[in-house]
Amino acid sequence: MTEKVRSIIDIHLPERATGGDVWAQFRGVERIALELTQSYKYSLGKVSRFFMELENGRFLATRCAGCGKVYAPPRPLCPNCLAVADWVELSGQGVVKTYSVLHFSPGSNDDVEALETPYVLAYVLLDGADTLFPHLLKANPEQVRSGLRVRVAYSDEPVHHPIHLMHFLPVVERQRP
Amino acid sequence: MSVAPVVAAVGATPVASEHRGSNLRDLMTEAVLDCLADAGMDDLSAVEHGLTSYESDHFNLQMTLGAILHDTIGMIPKPNVRIEGGGATGALALRTAWAHIQSGLCDSILVYGCEKNGRGVSSQTANQLFALSADVDWEMMVGGSYTGFYAAMIRAHMEAFGTREEQFAHVAVRNRRNAAFNPIAQKPMDLSINDVMNSRPVADPYKLFDCSLLSDGAACLLLSTEAWAREHCPAFDRRAPVYFTATGCGSDTMRLGDRYPELTNFRAKRSAAAQAYAMANISDPMREIDVAELYDSYSGVEIQAVEDLGFVQRGQGGPSVADGIFDLDGELPVNTSGGLLGRGAPVGATGVLQAIEVVQQLWATADPRRQVAKARRALTDTHAGIASISVVNIFERRD
Ligand SMILES: [Zn+2]
Repeated sequence: MTEKVRSIIDIHLPERATGGDVWAQFRGVERIALELTQSYKYSLGKVSRFFMELENGRFLATRCAGCGKVYAPPRPLCPNCLAVADWVELSGQGVVKTYSVLHFSPGSNDDVEALETPYVLAYVLLDGADTLFPHLLKANPEQVRSGLRVRVAYSDEPVHHPIHLMHFLPVVERQRP
Repeated sequence: MSVAPVVAAVGATPVASEHRGSNLRDLMTEAVLDCLADAGMDDLSAVEHGLTSYESDHFNLQMTLGAILHDTIGMIPKPNVRIEGGGATGALALRTAWAHIQSGLCDSILVYGCEKNGRGVSSQTANQLFALSADVDWEMMVGGSYTGFYAAMIRAHMEAFGTREEQFAHVAVRNRRNAAFNPIAQKPMDLSINDVMNSRPVADPYKLFDCSLLSDGAACLLLSTEAWAREHCPAFDRRAPVYFTATGCGSDTMRLGDRYPELTNFRAKRSAAAQAYAMANISDPMREIDVAELYDSYSGVEIQAVEDLGFVQRGQGGPSVADGIFDLDGELPVNTSGGLLGRGAPVGATGVLQAIEVVQQLWATADPRRQVAKARRALTDTHAGIASISVVNIFERRD
């Protein structure tokens, strides 16, 4: 009987109804595998320019003309003033404020699927910004600490999601002769 | 303000890593029948309103569960509302039900919540689905996950206040131990601090035993005016009345980075607590609250919560937890149910289960091994994400 259903995982039939079980007639259970995959035409909307400029090796943020707050990641609308913001370019240098070393990847997209674990998720205060930007810090986890100077590195490799056109790298301090 | 609503009756299924023999309709049915028995009622014909509490269409592979469950439990054609607020869903549902009664829209409302977050999907899929409740554009796509966001927060807390891993390991040990006295708990364990410290790293500084459970389960709570309960619930009189006296709700930015410079604590929780305390006339929560269920999605989160709820000063969460003041025999026992770490967390049911635990504490009907003596006032703390939504509800026994 079960051979007719290709998706069967298992069937459990109780041997005998126990006394007083009001659900006695309903204890047989069949489990099947269901699969659902979707793909989306996903608009990056008003922050698209941020991603387009990453291809040119430029790191953009937005600045509110009202309160002057600089948002990285960018916000088209300042939530404090409800004023439309302006694009500004940042140097791409900054400092780690906090971080985590992840020993598993949620595999959110193919770029993340390919990550070797452990990897570092860093919250970076970019010079000139007022918010922290979360991204991968490609560095030995042992050497990461809060206060570490980092910079945006741009990728030449093809990526699936344009956020992976960038990541952070530690700033290597040059030794003065 | 009018007199607060009472908890007329409660019901729940056991919380499990997988209820293999039950789909969501089955689980919800069992919890509702359990609630009916608790109320001493034969059916739901007198109940005026339904309120469905569930988070995820993805986990459950079903949209419009509100309509389906409302139909399943025989509430057609009465009004129904579905509430969703991430991890805070169940507490937000109760808060919404509170407003329904207080506004006079109805005198009775059945809040029923459920979720199958357990082994119905792989842990990889579960991580992805939960990551969808982060900011997909900026956090999820860079490999972020809630474990990672919470880990970054507790790291900041450690750096700012000297909080130590052994201190939050204490929470992981205590809550799983409390779960041993809760018959519906998913995973009671007798662990040592070392067991937690030596468990495998997940997102530094969090390790396996610092992380809460993925669960299947259902719970419901019948909220009504006192007069309605006395008229319609034959079993109501056998216990001292417990009133749902106050509720607060706060919010915060979705992304942790947008909260800079505050990275260590939960602003939304402070805001929710302030509202609830004002409503309940509480000025010294540590002394005026007798028992509490806190949202221990990760062990360190409880340390942050006792600070933001005003139980202890900011930065004192670690030492106070390790001193045992929140243990079963401590000054203010928390997570007597086992919490999300030991009892489990079927999301849409979680906030309802927290309320059920504190209500049973106030009724003095909990297992004697976890019963807090003479508890009169209780708090539940529930949040979504990293407290992008936070709800604090207060329950009081008056007899
Ligand atoms: Zn502004």
